[in-house]
Amino acid sequence: MPSALMQFLASLAAIFAIVVAAWLLGFRQGARLSSEAEARELFRLAPGGFEPVEMNLDAERRAAIARDRAGRIAVLAPHGDQFVFRLLAPESPILAQGDSLTIGSMPDLRLTLGDSAGVWANTDSDDNKG
Amino acid sequence: MPFDPITYAIPVFVALILGELLWTRFAGHHSAYEWRDTGTSLTIGLGSTVAGALTGGLTTVLLAWVHGFAPLSIGWAWWALPLCFVLDDLAYYVFHRSAHRVRWFWASHVNHHSSQHYNLSTALRQSWTGFVALAFVFRFPLALIGFEPGMILVCAGLNLIYQFWIHTEAVKRLPDWFEAVMNTPSHHRVHHAVSARYLDRNYAGVFIVWDRLFGTFAPEDDIDRIRYGLVSQLGTFNLFHAVFHEWIGIARDVRRAPWRHKLDYLWREPGWSHDGSRETSDMIRQRWNRQP
Repeated sequence: MPSALMQFLASLAAIFAIVVAAWLLGFRQGARLSSEAEARELFRLAPGGFEPVEMNLDAERRAAIARDRAGRIAVLAPHGDQFVFRLLAPESPILAQGDSLTIGSMPDLRLTLGDSAGVWANTDSDDNKG
Repeated sequence: MPFDPITYAIPVFVALILGELLWTRFAGHHSAYEWRDTGTSLTIGLGSTVAGALTGGLTTVLLAWVHGFAPLSIGWAWWALPLCFVLDDLAYYVFHRSAHRVRWFWASHVNHHSSQHYNLSTALRQSWTGFVALAFVFRFPLALIGFEPGMILVCAGLNLIYQFWIHTEAVKRLPDWFEAVMNTPSHHRVHHAVSARYLDRNYAGVFIVWDRLFGTFAPEDDIDRIRYGLVSQLGTFNLFHAVFHEWIGIARDVRRAPWRHKLDYLWREPGWSHDGSRETSDMIRQRWNRQP
């Protein structure tokens, strides 16, 4: 077997070992916001800037939604144990179901907001996807 | 192929990553690593070694060709290696600064910044497309001066190896004299940060003196927690997206742009747009400075 191929396979094995070690050592936690201040800081780091004037954190602090002075709506969505900022398109459907909120363009994201969920919705029912 | 020190360093890299994993775990730094992020970083690193193997020979041939135009040949004199190492680090500074200020070069370099973590595995998010981006031309001046192509490549490898250990949050500050001269974890954390005041700062490879000399140095302060990654975070662990997304973005922008602006999307700074709809790092800094 050529040495280059051996080296490649050994590297692959090492990658596998390190990833398994990271998993076993517990580096697989979900993202969690420590406070509203942290959420605000992350919104403010957004490309183009985003200054929240209204904001709600998910009940387990695993996401957040905010509105700025211009009426734009954005979310902090979990990505591994970190968050990514996503500005919602103006026509993006936001649907309240009980105390939860789902966003049409981000099907994997569900925010549990309690009574506040309805405040963010821009569509009336499950049949109306915007 | 000339001697490649990186090949011999890889087992040490693996051992140090395992060591950092254990240290951060038992020190209680639970967000230092994320297993999928680590997998992406390491796989990109492996891909970069394949890309390097495919293009390394051609880089050597090109350096040898340029070396043929040198007015003198320095050869393998004992004093040449440290001199070549220092000048190669200056060449790296110029390359790295260009890699952040010219979108064509940024497209190749961006994957190194695509992780939202900062640990030893992040160091291995190296480029797959450096050859395509013509990154090697930054080392042509060394060959033109008369340094041996093999010596230049050894210095480039040693430079890259040095930069591995500075990708960590485990080391806070080193002695003042060391922080003054050398690139350190503290200086390089600034480079990977997305905060406005830290953008496009600390381009150094080995010697931080280049940043101090050319006005691009920013010290790390202890006020805020540093956030790492890109201004517009990718939000995916897909390594192909991390490696190629900016090239795809360039192609899309060039296709859509008016004819007179098409080339601008190649050579202007990342974030530049002909209609001002996006922000460059300078614009982000200005906006941030205007805030109360």
